[in-house]
Amino acid sequence: MKRKGLTKTMSPNTNEKKRAIGVSQWNIAWRRFRKNKAALAGAFIIGFVIFLGIFDALIAPYSPNESPGFYVGETRVPPSLKYLFGTDAVGHDVFSQVVYGARSALFVGFGAAAIAMSLAVLVGLVSGYYGGIIDNVLMRITEIFLVIPFLLILLVFLKVITAVAPSGVGGLSMVTLMIGIFSWAGNARIIRGEVLRVKESEFIEASKSLGATTRRIVFKHVFPNVLHLVIVLTTLMIANAILTEAAVSFLGFGDANSITWGQLLQRANEAVKEAWWEGVFPGLFITLLVLGFNLLGNGLRDALDPRLRE
Amino acid sequence: MESCQNLSMIRYIVRRLLYLVPLFFGILIIVFVASRIAGDPIALMTHQNPHITAEARLRLAEYYGLDKPIYEQFFIFVWQLFQGNLGNSYAIRGGTAVSTLISDYALLTFELQLSALILSLLIAIPVGIISAKRQYSKLDVTVTTTSLLGTCIPVFYMGIIAIIIFSFFLGWFPAGGANSILVERYPFGSHLIDSLWHMILPTAVLTFAILAPVVLLVRSSMLEVLRQDYILAARASGLSERTVVYKHALRNALIPVVTYVGLFFGGMLAGAPITEKVFNWPGVGRLFVEATTKLDFPVIMGVTVFITIMTLIANLVTDITYGYIDPRIRLE
Repeated sequence: MKRKGLTKTMSPNTNEKKRAIGVSQWNIAWRRFRKNKAALAGAFIIGFVIFLGIFDALIAPYSPNESPGFYVGETRVPPSLKYLFGTDAVGHDVFSQVVYGARSALFVGFGAAAIAMSLAVLVGLVSGYYGGIIDNVLMRITEIFLVIPFLLILLVFLKVITAVAPSGVGGLSMVTLMIGIFSWAGNARIIRGEVLRVKESEFIEASKSLGATTRRIVFKHVFPNVLHLVIVLTTLMIANAILTEAAVSFLGFGDANSITWGQLLQRANEAVKEAWWEGVFPGLFITLLVLGFNLLGNGLRDALDPRLRE
Repeated sequence: MESCQNLSMIRYIVRRLLYLVPLFFGILIIVFVASRIAGDPIALMTHQNPHITAEARLRLAEYYGLDKPIYEQFFIFVWQLFQGNLGNSYAIRGGTAVSTLISDYALLTFELQLSALILSLLIAIPVGIISAKRQYSKLDVTVTTTSLLGTCIPVFYMGIIAIIIFSFFLGWFPAGGANSILVERYPFGSHLIDSLWHMILPTAVLTFAILAPVVLLVRSSMLEVLRQDYILAARASGLSERTVVYKHALRNALIPVVTYVGLFFGGMLAGAPITEKVFNWPGVGRLFVEATTKLDFPVIMGVTVFITIMTLIANLVTDITYGYIDPRIRLE
């Protein structure tokens, strides 16, 4: 196998500058990732959903709150050419609703993961590197969040939020915030473990003996080495957040004014008997997107693992 | 030496308990205050009554003790809690005692969750082991793909699909509930068979949902263990493959599985509402969702107490068990 490794040419002319190409960790990871078909499939799925999210107004034949079937008596009709996924009880076109739901799913997924992972990285880094009392205190707090019954507390807090805050985009942001706030603890522990491992490395010791400040060591040396783990965890967290939002909306605690796939499933639950298409299609998309992120996450994990030899 | 271990274990348990008790009350306070901020149950109860007066609302508030300041309400709650009294529901089943509600429904939730957990472990562990032993074979690929899909499909979606296929298209199983409403519908006239018949679909769905991640966990854990040096040493010392795999490798591979199951135990009660909603299963999860929607404070607090205690105990037991079975932890 041709190694695009070290030098481009080995010529007797040593005056020529020989450039090293493509040996950084990221290059290796990218090459490995490219070869992983499942990971590529995952990326493709995510790309497809992002595409739906961006161009939803162009793809969906009807606008989000429009009920094209209502006045013409075409409520609860099965999939046809006019209504690709059928209509629901009020005459909404399920296909349009699913398309518009893509954006919400991505919003909640990325948003909640951003919140959760920022907290997790912060706590994990500080706790792992500084140790001592800070570590102790932070770990106690982490434990509290880990032990609290997740869904229980989430439902109660969502009820509070929906009573206190306005809905619309605001409502969905609140849901995202809540999910993010209660999901950081597990990953914080994992990141802390990795930080502890990296801390023992010799290059950290070298930095310290060279007189680098703690801040510099943490952000310039420790963090980049934990980054591969953070990337994988983030991807998986996005998948998790999407599932959680769907579950919460299904139970009726989501934002009733926004169109998310979980909301669609909630409305479909009553209609399962007469209108299978109301539930099957949104659920299919949830599964697909979550699968995409899982495949991507696994692929990234395999690609970025520094211990795997090529 | 043995007593030394036991003493430190007891010290550990006591330390954890000292930590868990304030945590328990902390959670109670949070839920208590949050539910009261979330709204006024009196308003919910009476909004459909056009003749209600503000005075009547005040009297209702007095009756339920909701007019008192929040800290006083909380003290009364804790005081009653220590006496074993969880209060009466506001709106569910005409104000029955919360403890009755919970004991009625908890049994059904446990029935479902425990059956699913046991079944899934019985299936997942062997399947995971075989899959690991025959890595990259067709069986392995099928297993991993199915399990991966299983982790991605939301449980309630699985339930909906199962209901559509097995209940409506095929008509084999009832679509929900724990028992048929009409006694005439009992198969063979037996209540027991009727209950089992209703349990099959939700249990099957829940089992699949649980076993998917466990299979993947067992498989990856097993693969990791089989790569270790001591396995090579065991093989080299002439032990049969069977002994190596099932006696030595398995024991070590199951450590993360035990942790997972332990944590799952804690989380399973909290996750019950979803399955219970899909299958209309009368369990504690569904009770909690109903109570939170109706702002039925006594039930909310009662279920919170119940689930939190279970979760904390499950976590404690997992911690202790993990300390016992993984000697590496003990030496730390």
